[in-house]
Amino acid sequence: MRKLLVFIVLVLASSITLAGCAKSEVSDTGTTGMATVKGIFIEGQSGGDAETLNWILAADATSFSYVGHTLDSLATYDNEFNIQLRCLAKDVEVSPDGLVYTITIRDDLKWSNGSPVTAEDYVYTLKNLMFSDWLNYPYKGDWQEEVNGETVFVTPEVVDATTFTITRQTVDPEFVYTIYDLTPYPKYIAVNYEGDVEAFTQAPEFNNLTYTGNLGPYRFKEWIRNDRFVVERNPDYYLGKDVGAPYFEQYVIKIFGTSATRQAALEAGDITYTGIEPEQANKFRNLPHIKVYTVPTRGYTLLAYNQRANGWEGLKDKTVRQALSMAINKQTISQAILLGFAEPAFSFIPQTSPWFTDEGLVQYGVGSLYDKKKAAELLYHKGYGIKKEDETIKVTNKDGSPLHLILAVNTGSKPAEDIAFLVRKELLELGIEVEIKLMPWETLLRQYVMNKVPNTDQEPRYNNGPEAVSREPWDLLVIGFNTDLLQPSGSYVFFASHGGLNFMGYSNPEVDELFKRAKSKEALDKEARRQIYAELSRLLSQEQPVNFLVFHRANHGFQKNVKGIEPGINMGYNYHLWYFE
Amino acid sequence: MRKSWLRDYIIRRLFYSIIIAWGILTVTFILVRVGPSSPADRYLANLAASGQDVTQVIAAIEARYGVDRPIWEQYTDYMTNLFRGNWGWSFSTSMPVIELIKKHWIYSFQLILLSSLFAAFLGILIGIYSAVKQYTKADYTFTFLSFIGISIPNFWLGVMLILIFSVKLGLFKTYYDTTLPLFSIENLKALVLPVITLGTGMLAAYVRYTRSAMLDNLRKVFVTTARAKGLPERIVIGKHVFRNALLPLVTIILFDLGSIVFGGAYLTEIVFGIPGLGQISFKAIFANDYPVVVAVTLIGTLVVLLVNLVTDIIYTYLDPRIRYD
Repeated sequence: MRKLLVFIVLVLASSITLAGCAKSEVSDTGTTGMATVKGIFIEGQSGGDAETLNWILAADATSFSYVGHTLDSLATYDNEFNIQLRCLAKDVEVSPDGLVYTITIRDDLKWSNGSPVTAEDYVYTLKNLMFSDWLNYPYKGDWQEEVNGETVFVTPEVVDATTFTITRQTVDPEFVYTIYDLTPYPKYIAVNYEGDVEAFTQAPEFNNLTYTGNLGPYRFKEWIRNDRFVVERNPDYYLGKDVGAPYFEQYVIKIFGTSATRQAALEAGDITYTGIEPEQANKFRNLPHIKVYTVPTRGYTLLAYNQRANGWEGLKDKTVRQALSMAINKQTISQAILLGFAEPAFSFIPQTSPWFTDEGLVQYGVGSLYDKKKAAELLYHKGYGIKKEDETIKVTNKDGSPLHLILAVNTGSKPAEDIAFLVRKELLELGIEVEIKLMPWETLLRQYVMNKVPNTDQEPRYNNGPEAVSREPWDLLVIGFNTDLLQPSGSYVFFASHGGLNFMGYSNPEVDELFKRAKSKEALDKEARRQIYAELSRLLSQEQPVNFLVFHRANHGFQKNVKGIEPGINMGYNYHLWYFE
Repeated sequence: MRKSWLRDYIIRRLFYSIIIAWGILTVTFILVRVGPSSPADRYLANLAASGQDVTQVIAAIEARYGVDRPIWEQYTDYMTNLFRGNWGWSFSTSMPVIELIKKHWIYSFQLILLSSLFAAFLGILIGIYSAVKQYTKADYTFTFLSFIGISIPNFWLGVMLILIFSVKLGLFKTYYDTTLPLFSIENLKALVLPVITLGTGMLAAYVRYTRSAMLDNLRKVFVTTARAKGLPERIVIGKHVFRNALLPLVTIILFDLGSIVFGGAYLTEIVFGIPGLGQISFKAIFANDYPVVVAVTLIGTLVVLLVNLVTDIIYTYLDPRIRYD
């Protein structure tokens, strides 16, 4: 199943990735150590409800996470990025030329009617559903490649009952991660709806997850929209049957309207787990019945520079962007605004990624590269400033008029608002007036982020080409991005010239080429790929298409009687082994 | 005689109500569909972020939900299906609209009904007391508290009640629990804080309206006459003054009931996690889920029209001089 690997986030908070692994000791009483089956685990969320349980139609991460409780993907990762096999019997085999992937699934997977899950189900799901024209799977692009200027699908083929292959015509070293996320639909049910999108959309089996058999730690029980999603223990779970897992009788996701009420529910003991905002972390740490885990995330906040025609002309100049980044203190953001639950960012790859390197990174905004005087001099030498009698520089437009910039930010995220005000304060010291425009997230997206070529009937998109501009002019914009830690090449959508989310209008052929190389035959060699990512990080840290501000850490609050948790970047990977003391 | 003109009046009003409801339904449908938004909008960021061909996928999603067809065709289909009892498919919640409404209306209804009863009962009692004891310490206290009640935002009050009564004192759960049986003491207990939150503003307003209406009537000649006849004060206030003060109060209370059906209860539903129609409709608007938006608007319209009709009928009983023929 396609998980959302990279997406814009309003409030940067990492979510627990739910998947399981079998490494508990077996006991004939159906218990593992202290673990016994008891209790209801209630997770509090306030990010909105899922759209559908018929996952092939979904575009939102919440829908995939709901379904993930009942349906395992082929593989996942632990906190150290070691692969954890799920429905796979062994790791995916990749041919030496990087074109053929051989996938062998377990032979004990069953649908709800007792029939085995076979390679045919996976291949059917790919060929007849995900690649079909009638269903229009939103993420079909993940399974397509460019061959001689044409977009074609990869070729899945059944080998035997538990083995199938996927053949590409071009090399993509990171395609294996797409395969790991795959989940199947049962062919015996899906054929009844094939070709009829309305019937498929409304199929009760898919909307009530009645087919999931032993494929997930839990089985669907109930979904009350905007209230709760309830799954109950699956005693037949293929990874749990030997150890008696999972250990919760039910797993409930309770939706809250606000983070304040969600956190109040944890404090009162009405829910088992929820995310904690930075300003509340210390309070929860001091509560005797709560355990708070602070873990790194893949999210970062940045200050985007508008390099399109309706942004300040200076922002198209690399030196100007560098100077502005040099004037904003990242330590203040991480310590004073995010209370230490963040660390300065210098590129799009965080330290927790296996592809991270700090070699050659230009660290604007800290140490000697947090220097307003130098920033003013750089801008002055570019013609943006006047020298006063006391030899100090006031940054201005080239004609000497006051420089006035527009900074857009969404309401509802206090850290984002605080960062906006800090930027204004810092730039004011250079003589730059910053007008902050606060607005709801949807308005920010529609009026400032989406763009189109003026006087055309183009539909507004996040990147409609170099001539496109947003409806409202802006210069700076505070926003959050995510990086996929295992395949950072997904960030090409933000920084490549044709990237779907490159709303800033940044363009650098060298960057485009490096992203291309990260997905080429050359990158099959891991050392070569590491060098490509190091070069990309270095180049982007130097070019400053955006000011990478901070990588976030998330706080997860649990009732203290929950055991078995392994804190880390992917801390939910073994959640089927969690239990109540 | 009375029955005859009242029946004719009700039939006439019901006929007009159907026309008004159809008009509002049509306007809502057009407004929702001709706007710049599309049900596919919510896919845009995620699709772009994962490098998909956004234009192609968006077109496909619009085709999947039938919103790529001419608006008149969509309208004709929608109305035809509506008359057949098919309210459409909610694509933001993935279930039939009628099922969605059937499942969630009760959460809003119980909250609104109990809040209205709480506010009307207490508001009228305090209002009468305040009027009868005008310019006493009790009157000043209730007046002061009423202004506070009117001024407090629901949202803030709800969060404060949760922090005090749920987190600190542990008397109530921090959120409304939908697993409780509807007709149970536990469910009533779970509704205490939401009812106080939604009802406080209304209660305070009713205190002011009742006091004002009572004072108006207390000064009238018929009250002096009643007292001169030696009627007990209880009868004078309860039977003569209050009954005359009731007419404007009924208008206000029933109007409130109609207007909070979906809009006013939304914030209380958000704070206490009540999955009522307020939340459903609000989220449907942002998701451009037009079958839900239109359906909820239609229900809201029918409720308001019905409440207005009931108000008019009640007038004829409260004041027999009122006739609509």
